[in-house]
Amino acid sequence: MQLEGAWARCPLCGADAAAGGAGASGVAVARPDPLPSIPLAFSRRRLFRALFLTSLAMIVLSLAAQLLFSGQQGAPGALRIVWLAIVTLWLVTIMAVRKRHNLAKGTLYLVVIVSAMSVYWDYLTGWHGWSLSFTIPIVCGSSILALMITVQLTRIEVGDHILYTVVTVLLGLAPIVFLVLGWVSTSIPSLICGSLSVITLALLQTTRGAEVRHELKKRLNV
Amino acid sequence: MNRRAWVRLDNASNIFLAARSDVDPKVFRVSAEVDHEVDPELLQRALDTTFDRYPLYHSVLRSGIFWYYLQDSDLRPRVRPESQHTCAPIYFDDKRALLFRVIYHRKRIMLEIFHALSDGTGALWFLSDLVEEYVWLRSPEAAGTPGGPKLEIDQGWGSPVARGIPAPEPMHELVADSFSEHFAGKRAAGDEPKPQSGDGAARYALREAKGALRPKGGRVYRVRGTRTPDNRTRLVELTAPAGEVIALAKAEGVSLTMYLTALLLDSVNRASGGLGKARTMGVSIPVNLRQHFPSTSARNFFATVRVEHRFGEGLDDIGSICRDLDEQFRPQATREALEAKVQKLIAFERMALLRIVPRALKNVILRQINRANNRGLTVALSNLGNVRLPGQAEAHVGRMLFHVASVRPQFCAMSHAGELTISFTSPFVETDHVREFARRLTEAGVHVTVAATRVTEQELDEQQRAVVAP
Repeated sequence: MQLEGAWARCPLCGADAAAGGAGASGVAVARPDPLPSIPLAFSRRRLFRALFLTSLAMIVLSLAAQLLFSGQQGAPGALRIVWLAIVTLWLVTIMAVRKRHNLAKGTLYLVVIVSAMSVYWDYLTGWHGWSLSFTIPIVCGSSILALMITVQLTRIEVGDHILYTVVTVLLGLAPIVFLVLGWVSTSIPSLICGSLSVITLALLQTTRGAEVRHELKKRLNV
Repeated sequence: MNRRAWVRLDNASNIFLAARSDVDPKVFRVSAEVDHEVDPELLQRALDTTFDRYPLYHSVLRSGIFWYYLQDSDLRPRVRPESQHTCAPIYFDDKRALLFRVIYHRKRIMLEIFHALSDGTGALWFLSDLVEEYVWLRSPEAAGTPGGPKLEIDQGWGSPVARGIPAPEPMHELVADSFSEHFAGKRAAGDEPKPQSGDGAARYALREAKGALRPKGGRVYRVRGTRTPDNRTRLVELTAPAGEVIALAKAEGVSLTMYLTALLLDSVNRASGGLGKARTMGVSIPVNLRQHFPSTSARNFFATVRVEHRFGEGLDDIGSICRDLDEQFRPQATREALEAKVQKLIAFERMALLRIVPRALKNVILRQINRANNRGLTVALSNLGNVRLPGQAEAHVGRMLFHVASVRPQFCAMSHAGELTISFTSPFVETDHVREFARRLTEAGVHVTVAATRVTEQELDEQQRAVVAP
């Protein structure tokens, strides 16, 4: 039996591999190694995954803990603001890392995460309605504008963003619903966001209607 | 407006998406060893030309609500020196990337493919065209023009029921898969009525999978070992003169595939240090459906056959194992048996209520089926057969090799220019069964050469020291 490559020991039997000719083990090095030595790489990945999962677990636990202390004597108070800010920061970071390959999908996730966090935050701090009146309309409206600019300026194919764009724009109609239901204290942000959504939807329907239908057909193929 | 061509993923490929993991990213590699150090610039030019002829290879994998689909892209591949471990992941969720890579190292040109794109035969078509183009670019005046006789794959020696694949003009377009072409809309004889609820469909699928794969002869032995530190595949390549090994198979009266399978089971048994109660060994063997159902599609088109041998009951010498396996394999690899099997799978896939199960849930179901499948298997193997390359490439290529990432010990064999290469892959550091396999061959008088990837820190350190102080 002969070995290819410079092995100190035979990879099969562990016997000393004698270069140049068969030693007592009968193993000899015959040719240069056809397979390169690739340094170990994945310990980083394992670490990253552990960090990622730990972060997610911590976030869930933090949110649950906040809920538990809600309305109790000695509730976290100012500490809660910092806590929720850190949790939101991590959630957005995790989302950005996970969805970094598709800007439109990332934006949609961002809208959902930030909106949900703000509603939760508002609820924990005594429900003043600022999340519905201000945060959600501002986040949705800005995201629609940001998406419109991003897809114009970056090389992103229509098929890759159109559905996420449509969903983001549809989410932009939610503040109008809040307004109709009387859940908001100030109507201007909701009106602006809603109008922006309606205009964008009309624009998408006239200019990109066929693409939306094509994408839907692909993705809903059963 | 550029509206991308797209096509749904075929029946066989969906399981690869569901079953892929860090250990087994469902990537395989076919390699050709040329008679000189590879010139990367020429290889890039050859790749550019070959790539243009294979629209299928332009595709990226996208996920719909219910199924995955392949979609055309404008991406272009770059040849790279080998810098990742063998069969490193290719497909990542949400990342728009081609589903194959072309790499080189010394004399080797290697094509790695995510299995959802193509199978071994399809990949071999691409690699042979690439190598032919490369050889022609290297000496155009001596070699005429590329496009001579097409690649031939003679699986006649590899599988007892296989016939050589006639030199095809493969279809490289992004087209519907051959499973739909040959099996859609047909019902397997004796098919039982399918359940109508989503939950029932899942249970039905699991029962089907378990039924098809349930060992007949008791608990199945599964090889355990130490996982490689970074989940890389441990690869050991054995090279031997094809004629000598074929002669050994002939002496036992079976095909080379059956002979090598028997040798592998015997080796696993010897390396196990005692099988205990799990004395049955299950083997999965893919069968190229193009042998029975004409297809020029480079997409996946194969089915798997399961055979098993129970040790400690009757004779366990190589000849007896060979005959036991052969008796099970032959009837399962006939056109009729394969047709019935694949039709059942297709009918399951097309079940109305399963279709509307969201993709994420389908993945869970398929993963469970895959787990049930794995429990019935000790090893897997795949034999690409004897290959003859087109044009001048034949004269400039020596060994050709083939291997896949795997969750269990596996070997892949192929033969070219009189050299048989058997590539063992495993997620474990240990190579005991390969050692036994090599011993059996050398004891039979076959001259074997061994190459292996370095997977442990110790092996890599030793190599480092050898480079620093030669």
